[in-house]
Amino acid sequence: MATLLYSANLNDCIARWREEGLMVFGPATTGGVSGFQEVKDAGSLDLDLILTRSTLKELFFPRTEPMLGYRIGKQQIETEEFRPPEGRRIIFGVRPCDAAGMQVDDALFDWDYHDEYWFRRRDSSVIVSIACTHADDFCMCTSLNLSPDSTKGSDVLLRPLLAGNGWQVEALTERGENALASISSLLKEGGDPTAPVADVPVKFDLEACRSWLADPENFESRFWKEISERCIGCGSCTYLCPTCHCFDIQDEGDTYKGIRRKNWDSCSFSLFTMHTSGHNPRATQSARWRQRIMHKFNYFSLKFNVNSCTGCGRCTRECPVDMGVTETLQAISTLQR
Amino acid sequence: MSIQEHYRSRAKELLSAGTVKMVIGYGAGSTPDRRRPVFITSPDEADRLVLDTTCRTNLSGYLLREGLLSDQKQVAVFLTVDGIRSLNVLAAESQLDTSQVLVFGFGIEGDQARAIEGERAADFKSVIAAAKEQRKSQPADELQEKLEAMTPKERFSFWEGEFSRCIKCYACRQACPMCWCRRCVVDNNQPQWVNTSSHTLGNLEWNLLRAFHLAGRCVECGNCSRACPADIPLHLLNRRMADEVQASFDHYPGMDEAQEPVLASFRKDDPETFIL
Repeated sequence: MATLLYSANLNDCIARWREEGLMVFGPATTGGVSGFQEVKDAGSLDLDLILTRSTLKELFFPRTEPMLGYRIGKQQIETEEFRPPEGRRIIFGVRPCDAAGMQVDDALFDWDYHDEYWFRRRDSSVIVSIACTHADDFCMCTSLNLSPDSTKGSDVLLRPLLAGNGWQVEALTERGENALASISSLLKEGGDPTAPVADVPVKFDLEACRSWLADPENFESRFWKEISERCIGCGSCTYLCPTCHCFDIQDEGDTYKGIRRKNWDSCSFSLFTMHTSGHNPRATQSARWRQRIMHKFNYFSLKFNVNSCTGCGRCTRECPVDMGVTETLQAISTLQR
Repeated sequence: MSIQEHYRSRAKELLSAGTVKMVIGYGAGSTPDRRRPVFITSPDEADRLVLDTTCRTNLSGYLLREGLLSDQKQVAVFLTVDGIRSLNVLAAESQLDTSQVLVFGFGIEGDQARAIEGERAADFKSVIAAAKEQRKSQPADELQEKLEAMTPKERFSFWEGEFSRCIKCYACRQACPMCWCRRCVVDNNQPQWVNTSSHTLGNLEWNLLRAFHLAGRCVECGNCSRACPADIPLHLLNRRMADEVQASFDHYPGMDEAQEPVLASFRKDDPETFIL
């Protein structure tokens, strides 16, 4: 017998979690743009979306975040450390590619420095994912050795029931079990059949790509210029990517008071690698696109043994000039070796 | 012959004769309903060119790619009337020489793309003049009318809400042919003139600064709104500025390459109603 959560009980689950002081987040749409937002009831959730426009990472790594404040007076200097809010959170309705993406970012934020801003939020959050029964042309999780019902990075995985009236529930971590314990009276036992997962065709040969990328001979290949010719150098692919994690530290203020902030940054921008001398080692957009692909599928996977891409496809879905990771890797898989 | 066939064969002709070194046009995209910019340099590739009602991107910005026009050779580019206007603005602002550009003009009417006669920017004067007249009588869209009816306070809070979604990816800037600065003010960090943070003030600063910078220059091609991943209706800001400029100075940007930029020129009879 499996444990089931019927849609009719979801509202009560949310109420129960909220009574316990947990904030509940989920996919929702405001101003026509979907993302993860705090919700008070099940009716506010948009669970039919294949993917939200903005990613789960925003809940752990905000676009801008204060770290430190200072105020210099006549007699004294005051400093203030900003810490992420302590509140515990349930994030409901995450897609497996987004959940897996957070594990990728965990590796980075716990590498040479343990990033408290990331981990305080991570450690106080429970990720409840829902396996995908639908995909679109841009989905490519299976090309990255993941799947529409991958459990990576999730605390609980829900599998939609065939009848469409709820989910089969599987706890994957202790944190997930605890979250389910508080709604145990709302969970039922049953053998309802689950819906088949989305059919996501494999779009490229990842291993072939990785070996091509790892070959230093290909660093200066003409391929980079050709594939990125139309790239306009905006950062939307990087900002909408669950695994892109680059940031910049900025001081805002004046001599007497100000705030140090951690802001998103993007390797697509020309300023990103600009040296103080004025020299830019990645002077062209093709060099920047190469960096993005190399970082995701070569450097990152060599260093952390995981690809910095989980196949959500947002980079392509939202690109103003129809660029994307998929096509680049498809082209690499077919290049002459 | 369809317009697509017409321009394909023209592209072949021009590339074979060596008249142009490249044709910047539209090609098939990653899904059947998508189009993407393509750069055709050999006659055999000309069959990749696509022209239909989904070809919306103003491609004129690609002409400014570093080094592209520095060899005095010619490039052909697919442009709508807006695109031709942006070409004129770029020429007026000394960013390119229109004698190096051949225009494959087209317009979209209903469910069809139609060719516009002419091949040099100067050939389209009457088409642009007609577009100027048409703009005056064009009804405002629903959202714009709603905005006009708002009190300044309501309007401010509307835009604050819209800008709150801005993620500072700068896709609006990168997609805009008029944003040709090699170094944008927000990329100047010594000193840092504008906050890079995506907070209320930073987002307001960026979006208003860009709107002001486009006053009297924007050709309303819509590249900004189409590129915005946060669906901010940026074109409405620019449209409002364009309304002001047209009403106050009868200035319609991109009439021809000799047209002086409205905010960089002075006439004795300029209205000075804003000076108290």
